[in-house]
Amino acid sequence: MNTVSFIARRLFLAIFVLLGVATITFILSHSLGGNPIYAWLGKAASQHPQLAQQYEAQYHLNDPLWVQYYYYLSGLLHGNLGYSPSRGFVPVVTVIEQTLPYTIQIAFFALAISLLLGVTLGVVAARYHHKMADKSIRAFYLAGICSPSFFAALILLIVFNLELHLLPSGGSVGINITAPTPITYIPILDALIEGNFAYFSSAIQHVILPSMALALVNFGVVVRVLRSSMLDVMHSNYIRTARAKGLKESTVFFKHGLRNAMIPVVTLSSILVTWLITGTIFVENIFAYPGIGQYVFQALTTQDYPGIMATTLVFALIIVATNLVADILYVVVDPQIRLS
Amino acid sequence: MESEITGEGKPAEDSTPSPPPRHERLRTILHALRSNKGALAGAIIVSMFFVTALAVFIAGLLHTRITPYSPIQQDVGPALAAPSWAHLMGTDELGRDVFSRVVAATPNDMAVSLTVIAFSLIVGAFLGTYAAFHGGLVDEALMRMTDIFFAIPGLVLAMAIGIALGPGITNMAIALMVIWWPPYARLARGEALKIAHQNYIEAARLSGAGRFRILLEHALPNISQTLLVYASMDTGTVILIYAGLSYLGLAVRPPFPDWGQMVSAYQDYMVSVPWLPLFPGIVIALGVIGFSLLGDGLKDALGGS
Repeated sequence: MNTVSFIARRLFLAIFVLLGVATITFILSHSLGGNPIYAWLGKAASQHPQLAQQYEAQYHLNDPLWVQYYYYLSGLLHGNLGYSPSRGFVPVVTVIEQTLPYTIQIAFFALAISLLLGVTLGVVAARYHHKMADKSIRAFYLAGICSPSFFAALILLIVFNLELHLLPSGGSVGINITAPTPITYIPILDALIEGNFAYFSSAIQHVILPSMALALVNFGVVVRVLRSSMLDVMHSNYIRTARAKGLKESTVFFKHGLRNAMIPVVTLSSILVTWLITGTIFVENIFAYPGIGQYVFQALTTQDYPGIMATTLVFALIIVATNLVADILYVVVDPQIRLS
Repeated sequence: MESEITGEGKPAEDSTPSPPPRHERLRTILHALRSNKGALAGAIIVSMFFVTALAVFIAGLLHTRITPYSPIQQDVGPALAAPSWAHLMGTDELGRDVFSRVVAATPNDMAVSLTVIAFSLIVGAFLGTYAAFHGGLVDEALMRMTDIFFAIPGLVLAMAIGIALGPGITNMAIALMVIWWPPYARLARGEALKIAHQNYIEAARLSGAGRFRILLEHALPNISQTLLVYASMDTGTVILIYAGLSYLGLAVRPPFPDWGQMVSAYQDYMVSVPWLPLFPGIVIALGVIGFSLLGDGLKDALGGS
């Protein structure tokens, strides 16, 4: 199979998976408190009889299920996700547009910290395997992996905010700081482009703790995978050849060893993104960070059904897209890989 | 069963070694636990949790309690008291004993994790093996279905199902069961594919054994080891996700205690009594660490994938 048909196959699979997810949310939307209108307007539907009527007509809620299914899918394709009762009845799409950039910020920094920490410690653990350093690193990441993200968030908050007063306790940026004009719609990036350093530095300070909390409970998997792939690679023939050529051990280790051992980490990154994005539900809530995770939390506690169904779809969309990118990257990084 | 593998069949040229007899396997496990400090620690932690859960459960059946105070009775001490001998983990905002609440909540997490894992093991093993042995449409359908489940983060799907079913421990267990089995099916399928053309399976087929008999008596026992190792490492993850659902208020209704929900309720008092939300959090982490260490040890001992 060549690269193009491999990518085409992956793309097809991605579309199929999204259709599957939409089917699941469709089924679920019919089990919400007995009335499918709740899936679009929440229980507040009764307060908006006109809107309810409009939705019933638009989604053919009185027709057979397969007709409803068709209109449900076509509604999704038009970006119609209903109205959010927990956010003053604005369209869910608007809420997602407002919150998603913040979650991207957190996820980006969390991924960066996870990879930095994971790769560094993974290399050290492989270099000194079965030594003290390896064992301490294992204890450290095991404690992280085994902690719920809300627990890690609370510990960081207590240590760095309540005790040391080093970093802010919540929010996305300090008060009275003018927001940058939206260019990319990702505030930190916009501030950087615009040269708004007051916003930039404040926003960075606010993003550190939440993304640290996420990274701490997730970086362990990078250490684990990199350490074992590094140990495998260091036993391979080309490493022996490199050593036999008389190369310096550090060159062998980093240039020949690490570069090849990093390949599994690429695939892993897509799994990592899944976990980080899920973790935002807890961490954003604790740090009052206005991202999509906080919206999910709010939607859950107020029975905002449209919000929950929509965010399920958005999460799936992000994850499918990430997996697709990782699959393609994988082929690019390692041309030897069998495309099957 | 063992005699068929190692006896008359004589798969001498077989590439994969036949699994050791059961008592020998048990001895390997016990030996591994004794020689591996991490696994031993894990086994001790896990047993502690199970004994506690069982004791609380039995005490509940006998209408008595093993906790020093009632987990839901208010004002058994001053509100928000620091840990002391009278109240090992202090008291909460309503003067309830936190230690009693933490202990009383143990059966929830243990029961949910065991049920979800057992269900996933059984369903995954059957579906995966069946798909591997019979291929075709069943196999394709199963694989595509697991693709879908793999694309949605477990917690998010469990949340969506949970909100449709309504909050409650049983409903969360159901939601978790719905989402949890696909990796088991995949793993079982992969393992079953490895043995599908082994001599002893062919022999059973030729001797006229039916599909289900081959599945039950020949295939499942030979893939069970890998599945069990995976399950032991996976139990901690169920506890983590369940704690998350509980934190989101989907599992147990107040005033009844549950670890995740306690963290979420107590975090409001973090500024004045920072230890309060940390205790239930530590207990969750400890339970997960126990299962993780035990699973790692079993994996080393039995060599799972």
